[in-house]
Amino acid sequence: MRIDRTHRGWLIASVAIACVSLLLYLRYRLPPGEGSMGGTAMGLWFGSVGFAFMIFAAALGARKRVPVYRIGRAQTWMRGHLWLGLVSLPVILFHSGFRFGHGLTAWLMALLIIVVASGLFGAALQHYMPRAITRDVPMETIYDEIGHVRAQLLEEAEGLIRQATGGEKTASDPGGADAAAVKAPVAVAEESAPLRTFYEQELKPYLEKPGARGVRLGDAAKARVAFTYLRTLLPPALHATIEDLEGICEEERQLTLQSQMHMWLHGWLLLHIPISLALILLGAVHAVMALRY
Amino acid sequence: MLFEELKNIERQPDGTPVAAEDLLRLLVFKDISPQFLKKNANATVWRHFRRGDIVCREGEFGSTAFYILDGKASVALAAPIAHVNAKGRPSGFLARLTSKFTSRLAARQEDSREDEVDRRSIPIDAPVDLAYDHPVAELGPGELFGEMTCMNYYPRSATVRAETDCTMLEMLRNVLDVLQKSKAFRAQLDETYRRRALDSHLRDVPIFRGLRQDFVDHLRDRVELLRFAPGQVICKQGDPADSFYLVRLGFVKVSENYPGGELVLAYLSRGDYFGEIGLLGGGTRTAACSALDHVEVVRISAEDFRDMVQRYPEVRSGLERAARERQDANQERLRMVASVPLESFLAQGLMEAQSLLVLDLEKCTRCDACVTACADSHDGVTRLVREGLRFENFLVATSCRQCRDPLCMVGCPVGAIRRRNSLEVIIEDWCIGCGLCSKNCPYGNINMHSFAAQADDHEHPGHKKAVVQKKATTCDLCTELTEPSCVYACPHDAAHRVEPRDFFAESLGQRTSRSGRPRS
Repeated sequence: MRIDRTHRGWLIASVAIACVSLLLYLRYRLPPGEGSMGGTAMGLWFGSVGFAFMIFAAALGARKRVPVYRIGRAQTWMRGHLWLGLVSLPVILFHSGFRFGHGLTAWLMALLIIVVASGLFGAALQHYMPRAITRDVPMETIYDEIGHVRAQLLEEAEGLIRQATGGEKTASDPGGADAAAVKAPVAVAEESAPLRTFYEQELKPYLEKPGARGVRLGDAAKARVAFTYLRTLLPPALHATIEDLEGICEEERQLTLQSQMHMWLHGWLLLHIPISLALILLGAVHAVMALRY
Repeated sequence: MLFEELKNIERQPDGTPVAAEDLLRLLVFKDISPQFLKKNANATVWRHFRRGDIVCREGEFGSTAFYILDGKASVALAAPIAHVNAKGRPSGFLARLTSKFTSRLAARQEDSREDEVDRRSIPIDAPVDLAYDHPVAELGPGELFGEMTCMNYYPRSATVRAETDCTMLEMLRNVLDVLQKSKAFRAQLDETYRRRALDSHLRDVPIFRGLRQDFVDHLRDRVELLRFAPGQVICKQGDPADSFYLVRLGFVKVSENYPGGELVLAYLSRGDYFGEIGLLGGGTRTAACSALDHVEVVRISAEDFRDMVQRYPEVRSGLERAARERQDANQERLRMVASVPLESFLAQGLMEAQSLLVLDLEKCTRCDACVTACADSHDGVTRLVREGLRFENFLVATSCRQCRDPLCMVGCPVGAIRRRNSLEVIIEDWCIGCGLCSKNCPYGNINMHSFAAQADDHEHPGHKKAVVQKKATTCDLCTELTEPSCVYACPHDAAHRVEPRDFFAESLGQRTSRSGRPRS
């Protein structure tokens, strides 16, 4: 979610909560050596509020599973997730008196820090990446369709090569009387040998495995050089084909870039979500144990 | 006559190729070269159907046509004559909480839509049309059905069932193609058309409804039946208008040329008409018409047309009104296109819409929560595809992209999909759910929605059985809700439903936007 002026209300509320919590903490903190802050009334209050914020933040996942339920707009839940999730860190730190403890509490603190840090990282990505995708990938397609589009690009390239090198019949009837038309593709085939070689050795492997390292067609500048050189080897009649192939390469590069950006944009959730769930689960265990014993 | 011809032919078992000698004994084959029939010996086969047997089903793809030798067959639409209506909002607190639509089928009597065509008959791939209110008709000896499927590989337009024991010839395209060039066969088809379908076609043109039967009878023998090969021009924009045309078979592409290129206005199919504006207006063609595939049209000469409008003042006034409206629309379009490129004009066409769904690509994380929400609220069938026209950083995901060339309209076997005046598509009630438009739409904006329906049980005549009926549908932007599900479910504040005139005015350089903020 883009962090813009529309977040001002949430920002002010979060800062207010953090400031009030800080004041309360400063007022009620225990002197060094007088035991754990978490066990005091104020400590329990901080713990309860912090844990409530964490649960609310985690509930976003459940909210997304019922998208049509009119239980508040999803963006409101997302804003709450971002800001209350962030505020939960100082509140829990006040709860612990800035001590990590050991055993379960140490694990909980570590998990909380990872969750908040990964969340901040994700928020930053979601703030900047959509704009970058829109700017850098004008040929963007639906992510799930990328495989399909790639197959189409390969097919298109195959078709262009077949047509240019005479592997495909022309519109003229090969069995007809127009001998010149029949010979035309063969003549092109002889002249277009470098194109066929380029396709077999470079373009096809690139389109089949676009993510492979060290492939020069994967780099826009190197690809431009390669295509410019190819133009010098081929007759002008084939330059239009080269242009089309260059366009295909460009689209392939954009698809690769889109895949990478998409992976960044959503990949961090692979860490954030399981760690968050573990945090909620262990937090509940910690709460029960602390209140009972 | 056919009965006499059949006396000399020994019928062979079902599926057996018909011998060339036997075919030549039939009057309609008498012009065909025996060598051709021998070379294509397997292209025509005997078909025997017992009473109640299904000959072909609507929506199925095929490649053959049937010529009835004896017996009677009924031709009918099994699909309910209704369109998808998602306006039925659920009542009750919990149901409202989920805001799921209960999509249902509604006929035009109970849910009339803007620009819905007021047709009385449904065009099908047979010598007859079906009545809108009771879509059943009968076919008999000497009649051919399945021409469009055979010639152009379109889906079957209706279900044909043997009413009595029937014998038919089933033929492939190569035979039908040659047959259609035979004078005897053409004469028979033309005679059948004039007798059975011309009347309903003429009366389907709303302004011709007032014609008296004696004038229709007078026209019956005067009209000319013409054929056009794929790509052939029927009339050019700017040519003198000399005829009025009714489409009898195939698809006619109607397009206008603008400085920025060609804009396809419509693909007309059986039962549609064109040419009246030129005859009534300035005397010149306002659009170009060409055959998209194998097309047959009924031509009414300018002389007969003028005779008709003189005899029937109400027809004249109706035509003049229609012509005025069309000319005004053309003038308006021309005026706009003269100042902006065609692509921008089409983009501006979006502004005709009441509201649009836009996605702010600088906020959208491509999580597809909008698509999931759309599917969840429409019985699992999403109507939203996260692709579309882009204006700066906004993506317009609308019900119809108003393509320059609306490919979705090509091939509809019953002509149920067409353009509204605003250029968006409308799917008429008699959609048979074959799915061709959905397949043809390059942007996936047409979806097939399944419904439980009742259909005739052919195994138990007189009984009904539950079937799954599909209908084509497009996004309606959840206009019934204050906030569409896709917008409500977007966690990133990226999806908005907007009033296009305000929202895009600045982008399109028309005037300063009153508000940069989306409505919802």
